[in-house]
Amino acid sequence: MRKIETRHWTFLGLFVCIGLVMLINVTVDHPVSAQTQKMYDFIDSLPSGSVLIVSFDHEASSLPEIRPIALAILRHAFSRGHRLIGVALLSEGTAIGYRLMRKTAAEYGRKYGRDYVYLGFKPQYIAAILSMGESIPRTFPQDYLGRSYENLELLNGVRNYDDVAAVISITDGSLTTHWMEYGSARYGIRILSGMTAAMVTTFDPYVDSGQMYCLVAGLRGAAEYERLINYKGGGTRGMLAQTTAHLYVILLVVLGNVIYFKSRRKRTTR
Amino acid sequence: MTDPGTIIAGLLTLAIFSFLYRDNPIYKMAESLLIGVSIGYTLVIVWSSTLMDLLFKPFFCNEQYGLALPFILGLLMFGRFLPRTSSFSRIPIAVMIGSGAGVAIPVMLEARTLKQISATVTPLITESGFPDLSAIVVIVGVLTTLSYFYFSREHKGSLGISAKVGTYFLMIFFGATFGYTVMSRMSTFIGRMEFLLTEFLHLTG
Repeated sequence: MRKIETRHWTFLGLFVCIGLVMLINVTVDHPVSAQTQKMYDFIDSLPSGSVLIVSFDHEASSLPEIRPIALAILRHAFSRGHRLIGVALLSEGTAIGYRLMRKTAAEYGRKYGRDYVYLGFKPQYIAAILSMGESIPRTFPQDYLGRSYENLELLNGVRNYDDVAAVISITDGSLTTHWMEYGSARYGIRILSGMTAAMVTTFDPYVDSGQMYCLVAGLRGAAEYERLINYKGGGTRGMLAQTTAHLYVILLVVLGNVIYFKSRRKRTTR
Repeated sequence: MTDPGTIIAGLLTLAIFSFLYRDNPIYKMAESLLIGVSIGYTLVIVWSSTLMDLLFKPFFCNEQYGLALPFILGLLMFGRFLPRTSSFSRIPIAVMIGSGAGVAIPVMLEARTLKQISATVTPLITESGFPDLSAIVVIVGVLTTLSYFYFSREHKGSLGISAKVGTYFLMIFFGATFGYTVMSRMSTFIGRMEFLLTEFLHLTG
């Protein structure tokens, strides 16, 4: 049997903290950030029936963080009666995107082909973004389920980005950069994004410069969005756990520093 | 009743978590399974949505014979596996780099340089006559950080002070990035814990 080390106690502490907090199942009140409010206001202000492209540009590994964000945005868009076109620029996000869209569409009684379609994965994301700017039917002659473009009612009036209100990129990496560089800069399509918290510092400069309209980030962003749409989902449920986890990390940082300075003082007095 | 997919997902999550104690065969099995399934899934998606939809179907069904050219270029890539034919792979690489650079350079220059510069250089005084602190911090941060990466002169005197201030801005950036990354990883962990407690163990609704 291996000796229990300090790091094992650290991990165990985190498990216990988060496990207990999640079992208590208490939600915490939190303010809504300006970015999340901006995303909500934009989707809310669009006329019902507007067409939005939702691009699932993430891998399966980030699903626990991405899922609440994507679900909150999809729920809001469907509840407002918008028509959604789903695409995936990373192969791993393909089936996930379809499942999320199907799940949320069913909650609001939306019909496939009329209210939403899923076009699936297209390789070479830069080529795909540029090609969609010229012609979406040529880029995706058929949808994820193999139905041809002409047989999908929603797509009848959609030729390219001119017929789309915005692109919402759900991402865990830098793919949204390509949406901005090629979709926004070249075709003028508005880019919004739901992303993992780790990507915020990468994309903040693009929000400041106006290249990206707004972003919703991490579990906190999901919780904020859920608050705006009045829905208690994974983001809201996870907020107390996240606060506890952060307090736990801060406590460990302080404790580590105290131990370090104490041991250093001991060494110098010797 | 819990469906088999949820049970498998729950057991695999626990298998991955077991690495926190130490490396073990159960973790290795779960890790290999993840890699195998990811690659297998990607191959299937690429086969169906790329080779079938973009090449074979249009070539054989719609008689788009011009697609033979990219197909041959793609095949030449495999020339790298043999020393005798490795030089052939330079042709598709040249095409990719040439077309890629041609498309990317103007766009990159516009999106990553010109627009970012224009967003940096904003008026330092607001319309009401007060200094715009945010704009001042941005411009000072950009200039001092750039001076830190100027290596043609020794970092002494005013350049040294500027570079030193630049390192503080860099440290703030790294700190913020690290903080967000911790937040992100915690969110992932919380997401899995929620799955385990609700869907797998049914301990909470």
